[in-house]
Amino acid sequence: MASLVQVENLEKRFGEVRALDRVSFAIDAGEWIAIMGPSGSGKTSLINILGGLDQPTSGRVVVDGQDISHLSERELTRYRSEKIGFVFQQFHLVPYLTAVENVMLAQYFHSITDEKEAAEALKRVGLGGRLDHVPAQLSGGEQQRVAIARALINHPKLILADEPTGNLDEANEAVILELLRELHAAGHTILVVTHSQAIGNLADRRVELEHGRLARIHVPSVAKD
Amino acid sequence: MPTRSMFLRILWKLLGASRGRLAVALIALASGAAVCSALLNVNLDAEKKLTQEFRTFGANVVIAPPPTGGDAALADASVLDRIAALHNSRIIAATPFLYVAANSGQQPVIMAGTSFDQLAKMNSWWKVQGNWVSSGDNREQCLAGVAAARQLGLAPGSRVELRSGGHTISMTVAGIVTTGGAEDSQIFTSLDVAQGLAGLPGKLSLVQLSISGTPAEIEEVTRGLAGASPGLEVHPVRQIAAAEGSILGRISELIFWTIALILVLSMLGVLASMAALAMERSRDVGLMKALGGPVSRIMRLFLAEAGALGVLGGTIGFFAGAVLARWIGGRVFGVEVSPRLVILPVTVALTVLVALAGAFPLRLLGRVRPAEILRGE
Repeated sequence: MASLVQVENLEKRFGEVRALDRVSFAIDAGEWIAIMGPSGSGKTSLINILGGLDQPTSGRVVVDGQDISHLSERELTRYRSEKIGFVFQQFHLVPYLTAVENVMLAQYFHSITDEKEAAEALKRVGLGGRLDHVPAQLSGGEQQRVAIARALINHPKLILADEPTGNLDEANEAVILELLRELHAAGHTILVVTHSQAIGNLADRRVELEHGRLARIHVPSVAKD
Repeated sequence: MPTRSMFLRILWKLLGASRGRLAVALIALASGAAVCSALLNVNLDAEKKLTQEFRTFGANVVIAPPPTGGDAALADASVLDRIAALHNSRIIAATPFLYVAANSGQQPVIMAGTSFDQLAKMNSWWKVQGNWVSSGDNREQCLAGVAAARQLGLAPGSRVELRSGGHTISMTVAGIVTTGGAEDSQIFTSLDVAQGLAGLPGKLSLVQLSISGTPAEIEEVTRGLAGASPGLEVHPVRQIAAAEGSILGRISELIFWTIALILVLSMLGVLASMAALAMERSRDVGLMKALGGPVSRIMRLFLAEAGALGVLGGTIGFFAGAVLARWIGGRVFGVEVSPRLVILPVTVALTVLVALAGAFPLRLLGRVRPAEILRGE
């Protein structure tokens, strides 16, 4: 299977601090990868660079054939809207927009809005009856489902989820994991940053970081040190 | 167009999202707009009112023959008909004068034959002890300047005998006038009486005119008068025209700077409110940028929000200012100020500019780094 993402000798420094230290790995199209590691291991720096929210100090990142390591601010903006779907731990919905408008916001910045399509996306995540609710009227799990619908609406190449169940109770965590499983089964490429071993076990591979370095990559029933 | 309708949809939600802070900004904008609208309205009506009032403070144009001496220095009274034939509404009064050197007893005195009606229109500020002459061409009554009255021992109701050449007339003093000028030493009779006493029927020394308007408008009327008065010289009284122009200019300047100051204060009010709003919005902007929103498109939303506030504030301010203008006009200038619709676009445009300038903190949101905002810390 062809690699959708290639990370080569990736380095990110904040002054003297080396957040990522010569990290290299690849992600195949349709693969579910879990990035794991303790706090400060470089998980957030990695997902930010892959998502075009930050740029590496050195090294190379290629996503869907596009080298994003040296893109301008404008090119990164375009990259984010066309190729990436974000799911954040804090949900990050716009509080004064309804569920359907939050999904349409991603359409608005991508190309043109289609309310019917946005409503369909919400129905697929089980929120057909919550289209006109603002985030304050939704539970944490429901808000995260809106965020997932928003992440999917522009058919991104790569879904980046940063601790997607970190702020949810067990029941809602199960709902979100089921959704991620369905997305994976449908062929989406997913990269999840997580502390949760349970989520890590669901992934095709677990990439473990320690002190900014790639410590190991686990695959089901095979462990590579 | 779906994209445009989404823009308006987000804009509408933005306006409803931070009602408290936006209300403070709106109050600042509407207050500034109200004062601007009021002052602009007052400026227009007050200028008109003041130019009218200036015209009761004496002549600002004089028509007289060229100074050659003797009979040639007198004008023909038919000039009054030609002035009247111009039908120019800016001519408030045209007062003829024939000055005659006369004697009262052994005392020499200057007698000024005139039209009492026109004289009253042009010099309403003269102080009169007793009464004004009861009709314009009254041949029985006269007015005495305060210095002449003192010299001749005259009081309201007393008789005065005037002599010039071989003629003598006797008249009743209706009132004593105080002007503070050369008129204080003169005795005013009707034009006919002076012409008869001097034996100069149909003759005038000069005509004093009171013309309303700005210096440029007065200049234009003056040119018309020169055309209607062949052989005569038409002189604007430069000091008066210049003083009037200067006062009007200063009032306009005062209003201009007051408006500028109010707009700056209003902008500072908006700025404070928008700075707090920018703090609130930084997370939303970070999210929008993370979702692939170009800075220009995101900023367009926030600037449209500020612009919409400006339009609303300017419109509210215009109507509030119309009420304020009526109050200021009546209280300060004694004039009924009627709001002019032409002020509405001016007020709204100024308020939108103030709102956009006050929205400067929102423009700084373009620099927000989404990675820092969305870290969830």
